[in-house]
Amino acid sequence: MADAQTAISLLKEAYAASIVEMTPINGTPRLQVKKDTVPQVAHFLHSHPNLRGALSLLWAVDHRPRETRFELCYLFTLSEGQEWLLLCTDLQGEDRLFPSITPHIHAAKWYEREIRDMFGLIPVGHPDMRRLVRHEHWPKGSHPLKKDFRWDSVLGRVQGEKVFRHIEGEGVFEVAVGPIHAGIIEVGHFRFSVAGEPIMQLELHHFWKHRGVEKLFEQQQLTEAVPLAERVSGDTTVGHSLAYCQAVETLMQMEVPRRARYLRSFFLELERLYNHLGDVGAICTDVAYSLPHAHCGRMKEQIMQLNDRLTGSRFLRGVNCVGGVGIDVTNEQLTKTIAELDGLELDFTELEKIAFANSTLKDRVETTGVLSNSIAWDHGVMGVVGRASGIDRDIRRDHPFAAYDELPPNVVLYRYGDVRARMRVRIDEIHESLRLIREIRQHIPQGPIVAQPTGKPASGTWALSAVEGWRGEILYMVMAAENGGIHRCKIRDPSFVNWPAIQYAVLGNIIPDFPVINKSFNMSYAGNDL
Amino acid sequence: MFPILKKSLKTGVVTGQHPKAETSQGPINPEAVGKTKPFRRSLAIREVDTGSCNACEMEMNALANPVYDVERFGVHIVASPRHADALVVTGPVTVNMEHALKDVYEQTPDPKIVIALGDCAINCGAFKGSYAVTGPVERHIPVDVRIPGCPPRPAEILNALQELRAHRDLDGD
Repeated sequence: MADAQTAISLLKEAYAASIVEMTPINGTPRLQVKKDTVPQVAHFLHSHPNLRGALSLLWAVDHRPRETRFELCYLFTLSEGQEWLLLCTDLQGEDRLFPSITPHIHAAKWYEREIRDMFGLIPVGHPDMRRLVRHEHWPKGSHPLKKDFRWDSVLGRVQGEKVFRHIEGEGVFEVAVGPIHAGIIEVGHFRFSVAGEPIMQLELHHFWKHRGVEKLFEQQQLTEAVPLAERVSGDTTVGHSLAYCQAVETLMQMEVPRRARYLRSFFLELERLYNHLGDVGAICTDVAYSLPHAHCGRMKEQIMQLNDRLTGSRFLRGVNCVGGVGIDVTNEQLTKTIAELDGLELDFTELEKIAFANSTLKDRVETTGVLSNSIAWDHGVMGVVGRASGIDRDIRRDHPFAAYDELPPNVVLYRYGDVRARMRVRIDEIHESLRLIREIRQHIPQGPIVAQPTGKPASGTWALSAVEGWRGEILYMVMAAENGGIHRCKIRDPSFVNWPAIQYAVLGNIIPDFPVINKSFNMSYAGNDL
Repeated sequence: MFPILKKSLKTGVVTGQHPKAETSQGPINPEAVGKTKPFRRSLAIREVDTGSCNACEMEMNALANPVYDVERFGVHIVASPRHADALVVTGPVTVNMEHALKDVYEQTPDPKIVIALGDCAINCGAFKGSYAVTGPVERHIPVDVRIPGCPPRPAEILNALQELRAHRDLDGD
């Protein structure tokens, strides 16, 4: 275990000439690194046995028109989630090249391709220079997050076709699935290469749903963009809006009242509950065991109706606002909620016993879709999927937000990384969420639920915020523009990090098991594609 | 076996246990009702997402749960547009999904109806104007029914489907 200060002194020892320590950003230490040495410094952080830095976020900012430079920031999580360290570097003037860290750190591969697509900056040395977000029919030179690209431009269409990696040889077939799938799910393309039954390779082709969300944020005012954050990924309404609100509150130096913080935790746990319930049922239905699916669907519906009664929205929309929460819950409502949830816990526990007594279920979920701990760590996998593979990270414990500083959660951890482990993580987290909601009821203080804004943040200042949504870590970086606008908003749904990992989890499994593996990951396409 | 039976008996029937839809969708245009005539007893739906935030998908999925149980009204969700009578489209049409949507429309056999589900499909909602959005569904394919809401509640979707297929103008068939 090492803290950020140890990391900084170790780095200074090794790379004294190319590192300058900067003022920390809301408590996160920050180092300015010379562009050419970024790969070495990042590799050092990543591979040093005492530091074990995992890349959590990589983003770029176009500082025009104020300054003619692009900035790249690498956020590292040290020692399994306890501390953050930020590396920043600049591309001055007309410089468009930066050295890729992907050869050393797998987790950077999609981030760097995304930066290439969105900003036109080239990651030199990246092993895969194909487009990611921009599909092949986008015209050359269209890089939406550059400041000289208008948010409402009309894109032309050119000829172009996605090139997949092929495996060739006798008896090797390719199976193309999507973008439109058989069930009611979102859109994405999967390309399998199989020889006989087992999957030899899976390649993802996503970003069909790219709606330009980050650019849309730049057209909004800091205090007015919450509805957009709620619509980044509909099933994570509370998670995303909370992460956004926290970043803006840090920028505006607002102190959120205690009661609002408790209510935020309350709503976040409700969101976790209904989604986990739905997932447990869906995993069962994907192994053709429909009884738990019916019961889980009923329980999920019960919570969504409860949400509706409490807040007027089944998805808890309008709950978070900058400075606190927009909806208060009376003590009577809380007591009623607890009574209802007590009943639901009994109900669910019975179902759990029935489901796991079924040998078909056990047979299908055990040893299926194993994501090993080392692959999970290499790719920076997090959230439910990570915790099923032994990645001990939970923002609620590591960087407490809302009321989790007073109500620490017990982090659920499994090691085997198969479908069963991911299902067990969800089941245990359902019980843990119910416990947390009871704790919230006991300890919630009285008082105001929203703080008043204290002033406009200076242009160019920025803040980071992290929330443990039901899928995993949601990160937001919000940079203020002049007059309370937004210069840049980087959104990172856990799906963006976990999607590539599924390509490894399916290897050696048969295609009929893919739906259940995919469901056990259950990533958002909308949150990934943005 | 016995725990399963016990559970089912204890749970009882939950179908229909949901609040009634608050908002009335208003009169659905008679043309759409006319077009839906062949599907009054059985309607096969294919859902197509063209860039939604996934809340609309979740509510469509909810229609299949035991509480709403849309199958009891003869509505089925099918796995391919070639099996479908109706396309339910959610989300603003993104640049990347434009061609896929048109393909799906062509693959769906006639007669067919198109239902735009949710504000995004009707007017692009929160994503209006973005460089990555090409416009609402009706810009690309003809839309017969609009179900507004962000997202519409399952009860509202159910209502709209019922209204569309109601035997109002009984003219002998």
